[in-house]
Amino acid sequence: MRFAIIAVVLAACQSSDVSRELGARCDTRNDCDDRCLLPSAEWPEGFCTTACETDLECPEGAACLEEEGGVCAFLCTADPGCTFLGPGYTCKERDARGGAGKRMVCRGG
Amino acid sequence: MSRWLIALVVATSGVAHAEAPGLGTPADVSTTNTSAPADMSDQAIGAMIGVAGGGRTTPGGLLVAGHYYYQLNDQDWFDGAATFVFGSGEPDCFRDRADAMICDHGIADGYGGTLNVTARRFLPSLASGTFWPFVRAGVGGGIVRFSDDEVTGITLFLIGGTGLRASVSDTIAVTAGADLELGVGAFTNSVGFEPQLGVRISAGAEFKL
Repeated sequence: MRFAIIAVVLAACQSSDVSRELGARCDTRNDCDDRCLLPSAEWPEGFCTTACETDLECPEGAACLEEEGGVCAFLCTADPGCTFLGPGYTCKERDARGGAGKRMVCRGG
Repeated sequence: MSRWLIALVVATSGVAHAEAPGLGTPADVSTTNTSAPADMSDQAIGAMIGVAGGGRTTPGGLLVAGHYYYQLNDQDWFDGAATFVFGSGEPDCFRDRADAMICDHGIADGYGGTLNVTARRFLPSLASGTFWPFVRAGVGGGIVRFSDDEVTGITLFLIGGTGLRASVSDTIAVTAGADLELGVGAFTNSVGFEPQLGVRISAGAEFKL
């Protein structure tokens, strides 16, 4: 009984690396809080994101890219940091929104 | 926890021996009873309002409950309750990268309707004047709905809690209490089985029948 209770409590406390705000798979806008970058070579299996103008408007650990009118993507330093997003995602350098330099982010393509 | 279950089994066996209302003599509450409040009759109803704290797939929000109490013995009462929780309907479910449906609702999201069966035991050693603390334990089950996610579930859970009852008059008492619920739910929309872990804090009134 005690183990069952512990298992339930632990399961209730688990969290995911992604969310409706950033990173969840999607096929439509309704799958996300804000925007869905539809499944494509650039965003395999779809990618929930948030419209942005600066990095400050993105969740922690994400940056604002000069793509799709300004969208957030996970920051990374190397390819292994993107494996949690699944096959097709690697760490790439892209322009930050508003000419704020370059960012290393997880994306496909 | 096993102690709670034993208490529940003992109390439940008491239900089987209790005489149905109108078919026998109700417990004589006019005699001095040091195990429970003197004004606690063999039957009573109660109305409670409070807050429920949930999360993930456990609903939370405004809590409204109706109770029916029936005396089992000098110290224990059957406590049957219909409880309703009203929280936000905002969507918080999503597909993770492995395509598993995950729900990450907040502490006050969702709607729930449950039926709870518990046994309430008064604690005479801690009573002070008209204030009578009690503990309760039992089981519950019901329906949970997260409307904007189109996720519905059926839940089963254990309940354990404590509270305080204070007599206001011969027929009315006020009660406040807190309960912890722990169980499991089966949900639609590919969510599947999910743990249920919730806290409920409520207060209200009891009326002698």
